[in-house]
Amino acid sequence: MTAFLVQYIGPLMFAGLVLFLLLGYPVAFALSAIGLLFGFIGVEVGLLHPELLQALPQRIYGVMQNDTLLAIPFFTFMGLVLERSGMAEDLLETIGQLFGPIRGGLAYSVIFVGGLLAATTGVVAASVIAMGLISLPIMMRYGYDKRLSSGVIAASGTLAQIIPPSLVLIVMADQLGRSIGDLYRGALVPGLMLMGLYAGYVFIMSLLRPASVPALPPEARTLRGNLLVRRALLTMIPPVVLIFLVLGTIFLGIATPTEGGAMGACGALALAAVRGRLSLRVLRQSLDTTAKLSCFVMFILIGSTVFGLVFRGVNGDLWVEHLLTGLPGGALGFLIAVNLLVFVLAFFLDYFELAFILVPLLAPVADKLGIDLVWFGVLLSVNMQTSFLHPPFGFALFYLRSVAPKQVKTSDIYLGAVPFVCIQVLMVGLVIAFPNLAMVEHGKLDSSSMPRLEVPVSDDFESAPAVFDLRPEDLKNYGGAPAGATGKE
Amino acid sequence: MFRAFELKMKGGIGGGFATDQQGMAGVNMGLWLRISAGIDAVNRKVGAGVSWLILAMTLVSAANAVSRKAFNFSSNAFLEIQWYLFAAVFLLAAGYTLLNNEHVRVDIVNTRFAARARLWIELFGTVFFLVPLTLLVLWYGWPYFVMSFTSREISLQAGGLILWPVKLLIPAGFLLLLLQGASQAIKLIAALSGRYPAQALLDRHNTQEDEVKALIQGRQHDGSPG
Repeated sequence: MTAFLVQYIGPLMFAGLVLFLLLGYPVAFALSAIGLLFGFIGVEVGLLHPELLQALPQRIYGVMQNDTLLAIPFFTFMGLVLERSGMAEDLLETIGQLFGPIRGGLAYSVIFVGGLLAATTGVVAASVIAMGLISLPIMMRYGYDKRLSSGVIAASGTLAQIIPPSLVLIVMADQLGRSIGDLYRGALVPGLMLMGLYAGYVFIMSLLRPASVPALPPEARTLRGNLLVRRALLTMIPPVVLIFLVLGTIFLGIATPTEGGAMGACGALALAAVRGRLSLRVLRQSLDTTAKLSCFVMFILIGSTVFGLVFRGVNGDLWVEHLLTGLPGGALGFLIAVNLLVFVLAFFLDYFELAFILVPLLAPVADKLGIDLVWFGVLLSVNMQTSFLHPPFGFALFYLRSVAPKQVKTSDIYLGAVPFVCIQVLMVGLVIAFPNLAMVEHGKLDSSSMPRLEVPVSDDFESAPAVFDLRPEDLKNYGGAPAGATGKE
Repeated sequence: MFRAFELKMKGGIGGGFATDQQGMAGVNMGLWLRISAGIDAVNRKVGAGVSWLILAMTLVSAANAVSRKAFNFSSNAFLEIQWYLFAAVFLLAAGYTLLNNEHVRVDIVNTRFAARARLWIELFGTVFFLVPLTLLVLWYGWPYFVMSFTSREISLQAGGLILWPVKLLIPAGFLLLLLQGASQAIKLIAALSGRYPAQALLDRHNTQEDEVKALIQGRQHDGSPG
């Protein structure tokens, strides 16, 4: 029995994890429970030192100090304030009027606005709900195909996941040990290409089945001429300013992603205030939701830290590595297998779970196979976008169902998502076939790789010696900051 | 906001839970449910309070970014205070998040079970998943804090802040989580014996989505150009 346990403890632990997760108790605690259970088993059979679990508070302290994930509350808060500011509604109405007269125009406007919203927020729910409430009824009224309409709305809503500043990319950067800025840069082109592919699909449909995407009839155009152009430009100002404030400053290296998020949040507050939509109630709700989201994300991380501590302790990571490096076809075989795995798991797990549980297991193997981790992270993020679109549990479909008019059947929403899931798979294939799409020059000076100087605190007996990766260029970048001073971000 | 109140209003399955004071085997369920309601109230207060720290850290971070660029002035204290505040938010809000059923789950199988089975799973998870973790972290986390407190540990960064308050957050947060776990367990046992609305414990509250929906729909009805 003991011998069996010792030999198969890695696979057993993994099987236990699947079982515990499927019970449906919160992931954070299921993860830590399986970690603790196998921690005790490991100690009993002599695989682990009893001191291992004593390190728990320090691990949690490590999670608390995590600079990368500090960006999560900022971008979440920003997104939540923006949803409440009514920006999405204005954009959808005006851009809908602008593109409406052409065939498929309403669908293009959904994609375009979806992209704009995605570039200002990192949260998916908002866009899907706004589009489902505003664009979908209009599309139904003027005879758009139900499936195509709901599919394009759900898919455009999920762009928030891949187009920076997305929360997924932040978590991915953290788990891969790469900078958020690099992941943002890597994801930009695939994100824009996805928009292009969605639009391409609508265009093809407008040629093959023109009746499914009719142009708006003249009586539906409430705005025209100069007035329309002026309105369109005016409504475009807030998102464009915010995009510059956040992404522009990050890409230009003026601000770190964390600072960009904080400034974006301030910008969103200012915007909401200007529009008279910043009430105490709105503020309180946004803060409350941000607190709960941050909490569950960080607790999954704590849970996966406990799991990982024990899993590595019993050499489970070596088992996974052995399993994955043994695949035929080398790096390509690995990529195909991993993407299939993520695609299938995305039916059951959402992206936080995938990113915190699966990615730490995959990253070291990818690294060993010589795969660029930033590129790998972007690839997985494109794939994980499907977790929102997979029937029947995809969140985007779920949100859309909750706001769609009765005449749109649930089966329409599910079937409508299928072509877009296919587009997503096509994009995964494109990124693998043309790696340059998501490749980022490394070592480029940007503020997301600022000097980092970590000195172990006095009682951190378990930690490795101090890590100094303060490079001379960084100091120069910092205006010759004296050694010892550090921009810890 | 005031869920306990809502629950009373809902009544729900069976109805009239609060009136039945004496539980099975003479256990005074009413007292236990009052304790549970007390814990819920504490965590609701703490959760509502710490969420404001997010606004504080947003302002600190933005101000720091601006002053770093504009005046070339930045301090490690500003950088540290951000993660201090964030740690306070997510640790102290853990119980509140549990109360609101916002810790994410894999509910693909779970939701197909009968309500009763789901209540049992919930109780099992609380007792065997949640409680051991919180006890272990409290057990090791308290001395971890005490060590920092007695040595008056200060961050080694130049201009760094004092460290023990942030280490106190670990036992404090997990204590709140443990208490909330106990409160959930009480409610689950009460629900299993028909003294508490089961659905209230099982529903996932998509408050965020509902709010946005209500906001947009409200504006559409107003006819305001939203």
